[in-house]
Amino acid sequence: MKRNRESSDVPARRQFLKSAGVLAVGTATVAGTACDVKEPAKLDEPAAARRIGFDRSLLDALAATVLPASLGAVEVRAATDRFVRWADGYEPVAEEMHGYGYADVRYLPPDPSPAWRAQLAALDMLSRKTHHVSFASAKPEQRTAVLEVALRGERGDRLPAPLNAQHIALAVLAHWSASPNAWNLAYGARISPLTCRSLDEATRAPLPLAPVDTTTRRTS
Amino acid sequence: MTRQSDRTTYEADLCIVGSGITAAMMAAHLVEHSKKRILVVEAGTHTTPFAQRTAARERYLAYGESPWKSDHLDDQNAFGNTWGFSPSMHVGGLAMHWGGVSPRYSPEDFRVRSLYGIGDDWPFSYDDLDPFYQEAEERMGVAGEQGPVALDPRGKPYPLPPLPVNHNLKQLQQWAANAGIAAWSTPSAKNSAPYAGRAQCQRCDTCYPVCPSGAKYSPDFTWDALVREKKITLLTDTLVRRLEADASTGRITHATGNRTDASGAPVEIRATTFVLAAGFVWSPHLLLLSRSSAFPDGLANRSGLVGKYLAGHRNVNAYLRLPMELLPGINAQHSLVSKQFMRPGRQSRYLRHDLRIWESSVGREPRLRSDDGTLLLGDAMLQDWQQRAKGATARVRAYYDVLPDRESRLDLDDAHRNRFGDPMPKVAFRDAPESAALREWQEESLRELFRRMAKAGNGEILRMENSANDLGQEHPTGGCRMGNDPQQSVVDANGRAHDHENLWVAGAPTQPTASCCNGTLTFAAVGLRTAAAIAAS
Repeated sequence: MKRNRESSDVPARRQFLKSAGVLAVGTATVAGTACDVKEPAKLDEPAAARRIGFDRSLLDALAATVLPASLGAVEVRAATDRFVRWADGYEPVAEEMHGYGYADVRYLPPDPSPAWRAQLAALDMLSRKTHHVSFASAKPEQRTAVLEVALRGERGDRLPAPLNAQHIALAVLAHWSASPNAWNLAYGARISPLTCRSLDEATRAPLPLAPVDTTTRRTS
Repeated sequence: MTRQSDRTTYEADLCIVGSGITAAMMAAHLVEHSKKRILVVEAGTHTTPFAQRTAARERYLAYGESPWKSDHLDDQNAFGNTWGFSPSMHVGGLAMHWGGVSPRYSPEDFRVRSLYGIGDDWPFSYDDLDPFYQEAEERMGVAGEQGPVALDPRGKPYPLPPLPVNHNLKQLQQWAANAGIAAWSTPSAKNSAPYAGRAQCQRCDTCYPVCPSGAKYSPDFTWDALVREKKITLLTDTLVRRLEADASTGRITHATGNRTDASGAPVEIRATTFVLAAGFVWSPHLLLLSRSSAFPDGLANRSGLVGKYLAGHRNVNAYLRLPMELLPGINAQHSLVSKQFMRPGRQSRYLRHDLRIWESSVGREPRLRSDDGTLLLGDAMLQDWQQRAKGATARVRAYYDVLPDRESRLDLDDAHRNRFGDPMPKVAFRDAPESAALREWQEESLRELFRRMAKAGNGEILRMENSANDLGQEHPTGGCRMGNDPQQSVVDANGRAHDHENLWVAGAPTQPTASCCNGTLTFAAVGLRTAAAIAAS
């Protein structure tokens, strides 16, 4: 049976996966509702022991390269924190949502973090080899050059779902891009998708965001 | 309840097999309209309780984890063309994670043969079902907008005001109007205002698969209340595997089955009346499993039609770029609906379909490379996204009516068996020849409609897609078709088996056709009509 079909009555799965990770970085617009955006809930039982975390100096350097500098250093740092918590909180091979469209029960992929950690180390090695400086200490343009090489061959027409990102650079970028904050910045309005908020306000255009200067601020 | 050895015997006046939305509606009706002792038997167990759904939603959004724990039995599943089927087997059934979309069928659905000369009529009319539609809407709490009366007839107003036509949908509604299409707020079993002790919708936009606020109706709310008030007995973790019928009278004497927990202990259920409310797969499956020397083809199967005439619909879907400014995410799961094409009047060739319109972000997402292949990172990526975000994408989709072949069927599949050795169901949908012959023209007609809509809005089609050929059909029904002629149907117009006076089949499996819109409300309304007949019997 084909597996790439989706109920035509719900948002496409790809669209949903684009939102995966959204709660790790979301900001609630309505306080005190039943479903305020929070960090993903902890599992009742801890997953089987697995290594978590990343080399933070390398990850910070990566985040400073792939995330918009216009966010400011504090928000880039916070987004990186959220990415780490999201990756660490993942339960490999948990059951996927099944519903319309297929009868078999499916499971989430294995833990992507080991490969992402290896890629992070590889960025550092490549930086040292090509620029004679660690990735963490490299200049922004040097880090970008390293990523140009590392991401060669990655499809460009869209970002993957964070969980399916084949490279940690894409995972960090996709995780942030799936957040309500990123969505709001892109559309210039306080849409805050997937955030529980007043039904009555739906009839009005979301309030505009203050313009963000994407040309001058730098995080490193 | 009595115990003998490891076997437990339950006794009731009325036994309902299954605890999905149809069963919940029926039980709620029956406790109000009869004094029967009701036993509801569910093969699965309770899934994620309401108090845990906010946390479950968080993990669903973060990782795609199923928010519904313990919601299926690993060895109890269907095979074949199972599009539209879910392995969900737990208290509340598939409607624990439905989208809540609750349109009615149109009057034409009940008279397709009379009006169009193909397919079959139902044994009752839309007007006959109207009060049961109303009852289902009131029990669930459906928020709806009265469409143009000629397109959207109903006896009474919706119980709840419509979900708002939001900032995006307002613009899309005007576009549809410019294309000559009347579209309005899609009726949904979601609280547009607090209702039945449940909260107002907060447009969290995860109606499918999990509503964290309780604004969307799900059957657990009904079961929790009925159990709390001791109005029914809900027996979980118990798989009914056979119905036993008296060879001379045809009456169902008892049901047998086993616990689905670790014990696997045998269970017997004795009741005066049995109701199968287990959906289009498990209801005919149980009848076929219950074959015996007296009933070698299974129960209720004098006509040979148990498991036959599985029905559903397919769709054509399109994304259109439009010259307006939409801000996707305001309430992405809500939509506009039109029933204009469900009531087309006389036709030279048969095509009836619904139409839904959504906001969409397709083509307006972030990307990794610019058109010239330049890597987009940091602010360059955000600036590119901001440019791409301008404008609007709309999604349109039409379900079209597919008429079932007699051999659109469910069989017992000896290649797949559960832990007890029962063959599992295998389903294979097949269009009636007259419907198959129309398919290509029907789908091209829908594509042409979408092109016309794009043109009316000075827009363009981004992409269009059809349902796949080989997956089955959506919002499926059938397998225990209703009718007045015992040679041409399994149950009568009320859902009572022609062959067994105390056996009833409820909801989706009894329907001759599946219309061209979401079916859950109709499944429930048909079930309520059966409940009323049981209460009166």
